[in-house]
Amino acid sequence: MSASPDHNILLKVDNLGKRFGGIHALADVAFELEKGSINSLIGPNGAGKTTFINVVTGIHAADSGEIVFQAENISGLPAHVIASKGIGRTFQLEELFAGLSVMENTLVGCHTQSSSGMLACGLSLPWARKEEKRLREIAMESLTFVGLEKRANDPISKLPLGERKLVGVARALSMNPTLLMLDEPVGGLAAHEAKKLVDLIYMLVGKGLTIFIVEHNMPFVMSLSEKVIVLDEGTKIAEGPPEQVRANQEVIRAYLGDEV
Amino acid sequence: MKGHILPGLVMLAIFLLPIIVPSPYIIGVMCFIAIYGALALGKAVLMENSGIFSVAHPAWFGIGAYVTAIATIRGVPPLVSIGVAALCVACLAYIMGAPLLRLKEYYLANATFCLLIIMEIGIGNMGSLTGGHEGLMGIPPLTIGPIKFEGDRDFYFLSWGLCIGSLWFFHNLMTTRAGRALRTFMYSEVASKSMGINVSQYKLRIFVITSVMASLTGSILAFWLRFIEPAMFGIPLMIELLTMVIVGGGGILYGPILGAFTIMWLREVIQAYLARLLPVMTAEVDAVFFGIIVILTLIFMPGGIAGWVEQLMHAGRRVGERLTRP
Repeated sequence: MSASPDHNILLKVDNLGKRFGGIHALADVAFELEKGSINSLIGPNGAGKTTFINVVTGIHAADSGEIVFQAENISGLPAHVIASKGIGRTFQLEELFAGLSVMENTLVGCHTQSSSGMLACGLSLPWARKEEKRLREIAMESLTFVGLEKRANDPISKLPLGERKLVGVARALSMNPTLLMLDEPVGGLAAHEAKKLVDLIYMLVGKGLTIFIVEHNMPFVMSLSEKVIVLDEGTKIAEGPPEQVRANQEVIRAYLGDEV
Repeated sequence: MKGHILPGLVMLAIFLLPIIVPSPYIIGVMCFIAIYGALALGKAVLMENSGIFSVAHPAWFGIGAYVTAIATIRGVPPLVSIGVAALCVACLAYIMGAPLLRLKEYYLANATFCLLIIMEIGIGNMGSLTGGHEGLMGIPPLTIGPIKFEGDRDFYFLSWGLCIGSLWFFHNLMTTRAGRALRTFMYSEVASKSMGINVSQYKLRIFVITSVMASLTGSILAFWLRFIEPAMFGIPLMIELLTMVIVGGGGILYGPILGAFTIMWLREVIQAYLARLLPVMTAEVDAVFFGIIVILTLIFMPGGIAGWVEQLMHAGRRVGERLTRP
């Protein structure tokens, strides 16, 4: 840690709470993410992991608490504004745009990096055309990074699950994010596909990105993460390096039940 | 350049038609095809590309026509009144769209349906201003400086100009940044927002843009027919436009125009030939036929005629590739 530790903090959540009706999806969640680190959020089904991503990215508004991203309070901002500040994400169920090609999906990710409006696009004004050319280069770069450049013109429906997940990653990368949140990135993937994703994640961290993973797959999480945060029924029950979390009694109880 | 040959030929044919075939009947029907085609295109851009199920299109078309007509009758230069009408429609669409577009699917369809009914009743009951249900007569001709637009052939070029211009605009839009953003709403609005797209703002903007285009179409109609009545802009037109979008294929931009072409000529054929066979030939008989056609299209050709054309061209290209391969 340097003299001013706040310089190293990319995201800080404090006292974060979210209720759906009578259910506490998140209650008093607090932790910090360091710049350039790989972090994971784990927990049993229904622990509030996806809700956490949705609240941070502004899809759901938090009921209480504060989210500070790059020293700026972003709680309560609409999702599209938060996206433009540099938080990219993927989805558990991909949420790709099925009627658009692989390239077009990735191009949508470039939205925050461009500005031509409807009239400029519709009238095909010179700067809109120039910008479109630039966006295609960015998108192609993202697709090449995940190894899908040959699939650029295919419809989404032609791709197997593993490649669809990668399109989601390429789409999020086109946003040029500082923080990349991956929601169950290896769910349903074969071992070699998961291995490829691990390589990609290390390369991204090398580029200076901060990674936040929500995942069920324990070996994947434990081998990759520098910090693991455990949620159970909306509350944080543990936080720390993987080996420490693995030994935590409360984590074992949450995963295996009281009887153990 | 290869992809531009077929559209170029079609455009050349449209341009040459009134010169080669100077039949007023054919030119008249083709004018209506351009007008309804442009309207159906706007409707398809909302429904099939942006996921906005609005049926209020005839209302913007009607208000555009009425404002243009009323202003021109009162001595406003035609070009200015077209602009005033477009501005009025833009403001109205913005004010109505801001709350209505929070609704989705059938709820939005319902609300815009009411908008359409209110507009028709409103215009019908505005007395001497709109001419009521009897319609508005005596619209001056369209003059721009020394140029006077008169007769079907002038309006043929004007209406097809607008129709093809709209197609060009929406084609550019849908293949670049802003239009791509619109096309995502049908699949996952959560993902659209997470990519940084301001969904409600985009919906409102495309709603206003398509409304203004409908208004311009209405202005052309008013100057062409020199007579308008509320029934021209009511529910039957809404259903007709929907039929054109479905039959032509709303997923591909030229589909609705193809749909307008098919439906309008089919109607002419039905009225000309079936009238001899059937003892009673009224608008209701028409409707029955179009109802059957819509159902058959949805079952056997869900992509519409344009979807079928695209499939055909795709197959053709693949055969071509195979033949040229050594």
